[in-house]
Amino acid sequence: MLLILLFMAVFAPAITIFPYNRSSGPALSPPAAPHVLGTNDLGVDLWSMICHGARVSLTIGLGTALLAGLGGSAIGIISGYKGGFFDEVVMRIIDMTVALPNLPVMIVLAAFFGPSLLNIILVLVLFSWAAPARMVRAATLSLKQQPYIQAAAHYGAGTFYLLRKHFLPELFPLIAVSMIRLTGRAIVAEASLAFLGLGDPTTGSWGLIINHATSFSGIYFTPFWKWWLLYPWLFLTMLVTSLAFLTREFEDALGEKRI
Amino acid sequence: MRDFWKTVFGYVLTFFLIITLNFALPRMMPGNPFVHLSGEDEEVFETASSEQVAYYNAYYGLDQPILTQYGDYLKGLLKGDLGFSYYYKTAVLDIVLRRILWTFLLAFSALILSFILGIILGSYSAWHRDSWQDRALYMLMTITSEIPPFLVGIVLLIVFAANLKLFPLSGSMKHFTTYTSMGEKVINILHHAILPVITLTFVRVGGVYLLVRNSLIGVLKQDYIRTAKAKGLREKRIQYVHALKNALLPLFTRLAMQLGTMMGGTILVENVFAYPGVGLLMRSAVNVRDYPLIQGVFLVLALTVMTANFAADHFYRKLDPRVRE
Repeated sequence: MLLILLFMAVFAPAITIFPYNRSSGPALSPPAAPHVLGTNDLGVDLWSMICHGARVSLTIGLGTALLAGLGGSAIGIISGYKGGFFDEVVMRIIDMTVALPNLPVMIVLAAFFGPSLLNIILVLVLFSWAAPARMVRAATLSLKQQPYIQAAAHYGAGTFYLLRKHFLPELFPLIAVSMIRLTGRAIVAEASLAFLGLGDPTTGSWGLIINHATSFSGIYFTPFWKWWLLYPWLFLTMLVTSLAFLTREFEDALGEKRI
Repeated sequence: MRDFWKTVFGYVLTFFLIITLNFALPRMMPGNPFVHLSGEDEEVFETASSEQVAYYNAYYGLDQPILTQYGDYLKGLLKGDLGFSYYYKTAVLDIVLRRILWTFLLAFSALILSFILGIILGSYSAWHRDSWQDRALYMLMTITSEIPPFLVGIVLLIVFAANLKLFPLSGSMKHFTTYTSMGEKVINILHHAILPVITLTFVRVGGVYLLVRNSLIGVLKQDYIRTAKAKGLREKRIQYVHALKNALLPLFTRLAMQLGTMMGGTILVENVFAYPGVGLLMRSAVNVRDYPLIQGVFLVLALTVMTANFAADHFYRKLDPRVRE
């Protein structure tokens, strides 16, 4: 499932006939021969829009996950390893980002800084690094107490040697899982922002297609929703649920390894 | 007690951060107010003379040093002055207060419903662990807890409101009608609220379910449950008195933390159903770029969520003697 979506995103230009940002047929035509999934009110081919939207969603999801996952983990490791004042400050900041209601803050920031792709990723990163940081910090703290690591430290292993040889291999699965989860969260958050009209209008992400479709007055009384709304809805739901299952799978695998 | 003051300090600090952010954002934007005051090219073009610029700067207090401005801003907030909406031409606080009750109605009904449902389903799952019902529920809840609320809302809207015509499409109550009795009005309001509340409950119940199930499974492994069984207590008594009570207590704060997510969900759902709460207000404010209004809504929402979280935190300490020091 995920692989199909990934394939769609990577080969978007090759598997679509029509441009995703220009009109290429009659407006609002139902799914039929040349336009496989129909067209929207401007006659833009929906299949092309969805394929290119997949690119946007995955870019945002993976970009956020990479930045927030790696950054958050780095902060978590440093904070757990060094402790002290730095740790105290980091924990306070994490508490703050957790206590804030995320979506309203994201709306405010996106509204003020303007909705470009990069800005959206940055805003999402700002609110998703806390979870991996907290988790990695806890894991680092418990690792630090492990006898073999203490022994290695007593034998004079340097900080970087310890981190590279002992901490990173142990923490890696944890970080990977949290990054998959972040990908899902980020895609949902971007779709939510786009649905509220705060997406980057030039990208055409799935949330944006849905936003346009629901803003079309009387859409629910016309047959148009059967393709204009249904297909982006379907793809978004599939992407999010398959990511959720992937996370769950990995978490289970991780849990069994621990026991 | 030291711990208590630490949390208070944390919340106060966070709140100051929000206020400062609110204060700083418009001042960090490129340009200055006079760019907006001077109008489009086709219109009669008025250039603000330097005296006028100085006048407006003094009028809005922009010639003061930044710290004085900040102080004035805080003083204004204390008096409940959230600024003046460009678009509605009234005080922001009035607009927000008029709308927020609708949001609360949705959020709290959904919160309570999802708690009840989540606890029932979660404990059912934990008591029948690894049966096919448990597996099916677990699967279902994993999916529903990840789907964004507006997607669920759209489906319900199409099926129940547009096609089956069971529920109204939008709004919170019928306008321009006179009600013969109070009861009729209440029914009308509830009728409008049902779909949004179902949507929110559907999305949130998964999170509650997973928390309850995990916590209860942990408790069921404890020794005192085995003791209770050995004493020959009835199954129901063990389930409710011994297990559930102990499983739910530690969840209290974590469940209360869901309020923030719930508010986010409510914002989205209000927009699907065109429900006139603060979420819809925020979106229209974004569309017309009414910055003071966006900030006002944000500030009120943040304050509400954080107060609720703090109250839950505090209440929990009173409730559960194990964390009291």
